Amino acid sequence: MATDFTVVDNAGEPWTLSDHLDAAAVITFHRGDF
Amino acid sequence: MAQQHEEFLARGARVYGLSADSAPMNTAIVEKLALPFPVLSDPDRTQAVTPLGFADEKDPRQISRPGTLIIDPNGDIVFSVTGRDYADRPNEDDLLGALEGLGLPAATQSPPELGESRPSERAMPYEGLPHYFRGAKFAVLAVRGRYRDTGAEFADDTKRYVQMVERYLEALPAVEERRT
Repeated sequence: MATDFTVVDNAGEPWTLSDHLDAAAVITFHRGDF
Repeated sequence: MAQQHEEFLARGARVYGLSADSAPMNTAIVEKLALPFPVLSDPDRTQAVTPLGFADEKDPRQISRPGTLIIDPNGDIVFSVTGRDYADRPNEDDLLGALEGLGLPAATQSPPELGESRPSERAMPYEGLPHYFRGAKFAVLAVRGRYRDTGAEFADDTKRYVQMVERYLEALPAVEERRT
């Protein structure tokens, strides 16, 4: 099992991985500041 | 990534960006590129960036390294790539190929909600992107030609970089269309 985590989406709302696993999740990590 | 969004959905995957930038900075990038998926924010890197191994410990700005995870519906990481630097990103076709093997039903993904938008002071305006990509491409081509005898690894690396930038350039008309 992947580490579950909660972050915020770009609207500032909490986003928890396990709430979204009714499908696969492709997560791309970015350096940001672009 | 945005260009192939429908292909990811067809293979049963939703797409998310994630960075250590603030939510308003990420809304600005969603708006700038008219992304069809949200960009998540882990500003202190304690929730996802560091636990999942993407913290860039060498960079003083406390940022994430580039990389990609595919997490299947069981919560298992079935694909993981960490880039060596900002110019090292996986090819979307490799991700789609990994998803193909999972045999998942198609998924849907709502357009991202937009919150407050506040671009980074250093963010490049959208209008600068075509020039930036072309400049990057030709700079690498020049260096590639100058050091053509360096070896296969250098040749492969620079070839992959040029191909990546060409994909970004090819994606710009679709970005333009989504923005209008």
